[in-house]
Amino acid sequence: MTVTTETRAALVPELSGTAGRRAPKDTRVPVAVGSTAVLLLGAVYCLLPVAWVLIASTKDASELFSTFTFAPSTHLWDNIVDLTAYRDGLYWRWMLNTALYAGVGAVISTYISALSGYALAKYVFPGKATVFRILLMGVLVPGVILAIPQYLLLAQVGLTNTYWSVLLPQLISPYGIYLARIYAAAAVPTDIIESARTEGARELFIFHRIALPMMGPGLVTIFLFQFVAVWNNFMLPYIMLGDDRLFPITVGLSGLLNQGASLPSMYTLVITGALLSIVPLIALFLVLQRYWRVDLAAGAVKA
Amino acid sequence: MTATVDAPRGATPPAPRHPPAGRSPKRRVKGALTPWLMLTPGILLFAVFMAAPIFYTLLLSFQKEQVKGLGLGGDSRTREFAGLENYVATFSDPEFLASVARVLLYGLILVPTMLGLALLFALLLDARRTGAKGFSRVSIFLPYAVPAVISSLLWGFLYLPAVSPFYWIFEQLGWDDVPSLLSPGLVVFAIANIGLWGGVGFNMIVMYTSLKAVPSDIYEAARIDGASEVQIAWRIKVPIIMPALIMTALFSMIATLQVFAEPTTLRPLTNSLSTSWSPLMFVYRDAFTRDDIYSAAATSIIIALATFAISFLFLRVVQRRAFGQED
Amino acid sequence: MRSTIRMGAVAAIAAAALIMTGCSADGASEGTADDPIELTYWAWAPNLDKVVDLWNEEHPEIQVTVNKQDGGDPAITKLLTAIKAGSGAPDLIQAEYQKIPTLVASDALADIAESVGDDVAGQFPEGVWQSVTLGSDAVYAVPQDTGPMMFFYRADLFEQYGLTVPTTWDEYAETARALHAADPTKYLGTFSANDAGWFAGLSQQAKAEWWSIDGDSWGVGIDEEPTQKVAEYWGGLVAEGAIDNKPMYTPEWNAALNDGSQAGWLGAVWGPGVLSGNAADTAGLWEAATLPTWDGDVSNGNWGGSSTAVTSQSKNVDAATEFATWLNTDPEAVAALVEQTGIYPAATDAAASILTEAPEFFSNQPDFYDVAAEAAQAVAPFTYGPNVNVAFSAYNDEFAKAAEAKSVDAFLAAVTAMQKTTIDDLKAGGFSVSE
Repeated sequence: MTVTTETRAALVPELSGTAGRRAPKDTRVPVAVGSTAVLLLGAVYCLLPVAWVLIASTKDASELFSTFTFAPSTHLWDNIVDLTAYRDGLYWRWMLNTALYAGVGAVISTYISALSGYALAKYVFPGKATVFRILLMGVLVPGVILAIPQYLLLAQVGLTNTYWSVLLPQLISPYGIYLARIYAAAAVPTDIIESARTEGARELFIFHRIALPMMGPGLVTIFLFQFVAVWNNFMLPYIMLGDDRLFPITVGLSGLLNQGASLPSMYTLVITGALLSIVPLIALFLVLQRYWRVDLAAGAVKA
Repeated sequence: MTATVDAPRGATPPAPRHPPAGRSPKRRVKGALTPWLMLTPGILLFAVFMAAPIFYTLLLSFQKEQVKGLGLGGDSRTREFAGLENYVATFSDPEFLASVARVLLYGLILVPTMLGLALLFALLLDARRTGAKGFSRVSIFLPYAVPAVISSLLWGFLYLPAVSPFYWIFEQLGWDDVPSLLSPGLVVFAIANIGLWGGVGFNMIVMYTSLKAVPSDIYEAARIDGASEVQIAWRIKVPIIMPALIMTALFSMIATLQVFAEPTTLRPLTNSLSTSWSPLMFVYRDAFTRDDIYSAAATSIIIALATFAISFLFLRVVQRRAFGQED
Repeated sequence: MRSTIRMGAVAAIAAAALIMTGCSADGASEGTADDPIELTYWAWAPNLDKVVDLWNEEHPEIQVTVNKQDGGDPAITKLLTAIKAGSGAPDLIQAEYQKIPTLVASDALADIAESVGDDVAGQFPEGVWQSVTLGSDAVYAVPQDTGPMMFFYRADLFEQYGLTVPTTWDEYAETARALHAADPTKYLGTFSANDAGWFAGLSQQAKAEWWSIDGDSWGVGIDEEPTQKVAEYWGGLVAEGAIDNKPMYTPEWNAALNDGSQAGWLGAVWGPGVLSGNAADTAGLWEAATLPTWDGDVSNGNWGGSSTAVTSQSKNVDAATEFATWLNTDPEAVAALVEQTGIYPAATDAAASILTEAPEFFSNQPDFYDVAAEAAQAVAPFTYGPNVNVAFSAYNDEFAKAAEAKSVDAFLAAVTAMQKTTIDDLKAGGFSVSE
């Protein structure tokens, strides 16, 4: 067991059945108060603003600025009704748009990443290292910097202010390709590919029917990464879109917030909107949380 | 890589190349064609939506726009070659240098705190005797799901004395003269706190996963030798997950250089944040407030190069170590 | 799989082509009910779409779609980006007066002098009309609303503390000191480093000329006596702590308006909408007065106000101009604007016949609009330059520092820095600048 420079630094999904898995605990030990308290303190810190939104969204506009911060009120339903009434339910359209940009976008992006990552991990071909190096550099370029030239280029083909203008640029994820390469290398044994080839299977059949399912858990992680990345990307849709019926939720809420400056009753809509927008994400996280295992050093113990 | 950067519509796949004859990998012809086909969608999208915009930015950074006279006629504007003028202007702008200094300070505060806490939480989650693990893990990770624009809004409300619960507590404690959390001396901490809140959970999960991959029999030996849990954590666990720590540190540093949404959202609430507080805000101000995309392009290139430089180590580490065992 | 990729590419091109033709199909200049001219309109005024609905019902041949924007700055930012890109701009845009020179300099606006009727100019005050022509023969927009500044104060608190309404800035300073001395949690106002338009309005009242056209050159006169006087005055009040130094339009400021810690506000005629949205429970407690004067010299400034402009990318300039004219001069439209969006119309006659009853929030002050009319008449002329954005963002940065420093010198230094940034930017852009 060496943990020195031989260790592989890589983001690898935890694969059940690999040597790295820890044996189940066999003894029950008493709970330590101190360490539990520290951990709970961390949890409270992280939940505090969430609790604040929850409470603030129950207040009406004047209570928001006049009653004690953590004193709940009874206007949650009214606020949801108001939010729904805002420009004929525009908020819910933003929700659907977000689902499209982040959900559909992330699914396609994950597939493209898997395809590229698998090709980079499992084939030997000239130029492979160069391609990977160039793709990897994309990880380092901030989206804020890309958004402006992307706008200017998309405007040349008249695609700005359309769903495409937000969807297409976010289908490429260098980070996703990077992760997929590692997952493919770790999860798909080469001898299985070889034996499938000997049996005459075509390359894409092998990828779709054999490799893809093996990469499954890792792909869920890539999906979640990309989902959160698109969900968080404010600048691109902000620049690309002029029509507020195409907005994702972040841009829409930020617009309401700006109007809150001169029309403060908007603040309650923003807060209620923020609360409702976090709910589906929380649900998604809870459902998929077992896939949130991002390992930077799997393989360390194999060395 | 094949030359696809100038394919404007993003629709023409690059011509797949056959490998030079004489080499004999496992599957000669088909094996060389297939990976390129698989890479086509990725490379195309990369070329159109990342490479082309970067080259375009580079092009813009060497240009400038000049007007004549009052500049009010439709044809009074011309685009000119500017050489390195925009770069020189950025480097000689004290505002830009100040913004760089500010993010360095911000990173110095944020990165060690965030990684330290993430490590602490990860070790506690991994310790045998800690309770409430499931609840804590999900709670601490939750902020990762909240977009920066929204989390800054939430914290903004929590910072302002008139609406903040903290000030209510300060008042109960009899501390009358607590300065605003957004005052000039404290604002960098206020922003770092938002970054911490959003990032600690993600880094914790990365480290925790890394810890889980270690077989527990390693620790058993230490326990038999009489080592305490703290000693085990510090002497065995931390060195084992060192690669994970290095990676999270590098990713956190890259994110630090790109801080934008938090100060931008908080700016209207306070006198302490200028429109060029961080380098990316500086770019944004040039591009949009000052309508000078040429200077903005030059500054973007500078930031990107700085990011490359800082990440150089990271790239080398990743490439050499991560893929040593592939086919 | 190979064919799947190809299919995807084909589909993408087809989709792109569809969208492209959809964008540029209508070359016709005459619309009919069956094949109407479609216009897009970027605007941020609340409920403006409801006013536009009235037009759409009456004009099946010209259909206007409102694309709601975040606010004045983001809308202009996006328009300038679209102009640079060569496509993507709407037909019409709501443009604040101070943005018009910038937009004209970027060739973003169409000259509508030939499409706009001869009788339109006469319906607006001369100063307002000048800000859409920039003193030339061209017409770049139709004025929509104006924002003459006004002083709002809590009449109940004034009575409680025995204060009288200040008519000069000296009196305002004394009132501010008296109020803050009587109750240290209360302020008569705040100096907001976030609102450059507010400070520009105060400077305008003092007869400042931030920009001027001198033949073929721009003059910049920010760091001159009038603006220095205003800065020195506010720097003094902030330094002695008689007024607050926090920005307006923050949750904190909202809370302060609610609980009376901000007992006054130097706002503009559109203020009732802000106050009612913000501090609904204080309805009936506020009163409005004209701005305090500099030693009795009657003058006023504008804060806000916008126009409807036709962009240079519009293919239907005539139809767009027709709509913009209707929106801002037709009695029915102006009445709807007042009712739906709460603006103070720029069209003088139309405004007089509609604005007879005080806004609900000021129902305790029946002569509200008489005071407003007085404020509107006193507005001093003011010219905006082609780089207002730069000057305004310099204001934000420099005065934020000054407001924190709380010293008169810092306020004066901020004015000097604004001047320098503005001139440097003009020169760097190649504009000729007279010194």
